[in-house]
Amino acid sequence: MAMLEVENLCAGYENGYVINEIEFSLHRGEFISILGPNGSGKSTLLKALQGLLTNASGEITMEGQKLLTLSPREIAKKIAYVPQIFPLSFEFDVQEIIMMGRYIHQGRFGGITREDRKIIQEVMELTKISHLKDKKIAHLSGGESQRVFIARALAQDTPVLFLDEPSSHLDISYQIEIYHILRDLQQEKGKTVLSTEHNLNLAIPYSQNIMFLKEGKIHSQGPPEKLVTKQTIREVFDAEVDIRKNLHTHKPEISLILHSANKK
Amino acid sequence: MKKPIQKSRLLWILLVLLGAGLFISFLHGPVKTSFTDLWNFLIHKDQTYATIFIDLRLPRIVLAFLVGASLSLSGAILQGYFQNPMAGPFVVGVSSGASFGAVLSIFLGWNIQFFGLSLQNVFAFASGFALVSFVYILSQRKGVYKVETLLLTGIAAGALASSLTSFLIFFKSESFKQAVFWLLGSFALSDWNQVNAVFPYFLLCFVGAEWLAKEMNLLVLGDETAQSLGCPVNRVRKIFLALATLLAAASVSVSGIIGFVGLIIPHWVRILIGPDHRNLFIFSSLMGGTFLIYSDLLARSLLFPTELPIGIITAVVGAPFFIYLLNQRR
Repeated sequence: MAMLEVENLCAGYENGYVINEIEFSLHRGEFISILGPNGSGKSTLLKALQGLLTNASGEITMEGQKLLTLSPREIAKKIAYVPQIFPLSFEFDVQEIIMMGRYIHQGRFGGITREDRKIIQEVMELTKISHLKDKKIAHLSGGESQRVFIARALAQDTPVLFLDEPSSHLDISYQIEIYHILRDLQQEKGKTVLSTEHNLNLAIPYSQNIMFLKEGKIHSQGPPEKLVTKQTIREVFDAEVDIRKNLHTHKPEISLILHSANKK
Repeated sequence: MKKPIQKSRLLWILLVLLGAGLFISFLHGPVKTSFTDLWNFLIHKDQTYATIFIDLRLPRIVLAFLVGASLSLSGAILQGYFQNPMAGPFVVGVSSGASFGAVLSIFLGWNIQFFGLSLQNVFAFASGFALVSFVYILSQRKGVYKVETLLLTGIAAGALASSLTSFLIFFKSESFKQAVFWLLGSFALSDWNQVNAVFPYFLLCFVGAEWLAKEMNLLVLGDETAQSLGCPVNRVRKIFLALATLLAAASVSVSGIIGFVGLIIPHWVRILIGPDHRNLFIFSSLMGGTFLIYSDLLARSLLFPTELPIGIITAVVGAPFFIYLLNQRR
């Protein structure tokens, strides 16, 4: 059975819908990447799927329940979200930020339980940030703070994990590190992962299925081996590329044609 | 930036300051009283100065504390609410609304009492609260509202109310002095009725703010993040705005507009003990109350026997200190 079933979802902001007629399903333990050019509605889709947008219609079914009728608290028990990072000026330290992931599990004045501490410890080890626990979030590098927010999402202890452009603003070594963490979470902890990504070569080897978004609609979806072709990339991104096989993973890989911009 | 000081240490410092402030305020006033008089009153039940201590000085001290605590708590709430350390209790226009109400009642010149409160108190509270409600309704669209719109609408509505106030004062210039005293704040007319009027609001709002302090910590991360962590953002925001407005309107209605307390105290407390609102709300209240007790002491003793409006003191002390804090943080 699908973990998340989406039917005819249209959603957006005050000025109208940004995404239209979205239909797909996310299965337990699966890793799906949402790909598409800037402004194609990737982030909007992630937000809509958590009920964060009030201007939305259609049906989202999460484990048999209608998601748009659930309270934030109930949704937060099922889906954890790692938003896109941007310069942060919070004065909270790393530990306090991660503890906020435990919000739905805590009583009002109960304070921090032993279980909370155990989980915080675990997720910090998993994301390799234990040494940063007393640092202010504002003093961390992009890669470090991205790992803190993944740790917070893990502390939320949900079956599903959403990530919005987890590799943006990161150096290449950090990009790979983040995706390794995500793969470990999927394979070892059984997490279901839905992530948006603009770097195709990064997303493809880690995803069982990918979805191409263009102008707010699904262009195509399926396993990357079938889906990633010169034709699709031309249609979705308006770019001329070659496709070859990655030397290690044997999955499709984008090879840039450097003079294409001039030819057009 | 310096390391935050320990909370227990700050608590002791504040309690000692508060105690000292209470003591000095008790002894100081137009009628000369000595430590022996206070001792005799407290220990030997000497009734010579009972009225002065109990009916004149005590309500004034308690009211100054309550108003300071309310304004600082209101400021602490709104700084979190707008995620902006420049926010204060008057940012959405409650002060302009309240002063319009007060000046209107001075203008009308009716002398009516409501449960021991003057018409001025009641008008100020009602129009301050009404203005913010009006701003809130205006900045809503389809049940959703944007924080920015709220802020800007508040500024516009506040400006409108202020110009109406000026208009009233212009038309009846003999009420100018009374109005000015009110516009700059004063505890000169404090009595127990006012304490009784403000205290329930403070208590209710303090408990409410502490109750939702964890949610406020989440709001600081941004609305979407807060909601994705499970926080019912819309409801929490509504409640916090109501609490901050009630606190500010209640304070302004009994003491006039006392600037800077609600801006500077929560800001300073944040620097001292960090961003956790569970602590911020408690310490802002305590520090704000203590600060106003001392400010009131200065207001009535600097040019003794003339009393200065307290808003002048808080601004003179507060503004340079605020600039100093801002430079420290850079």
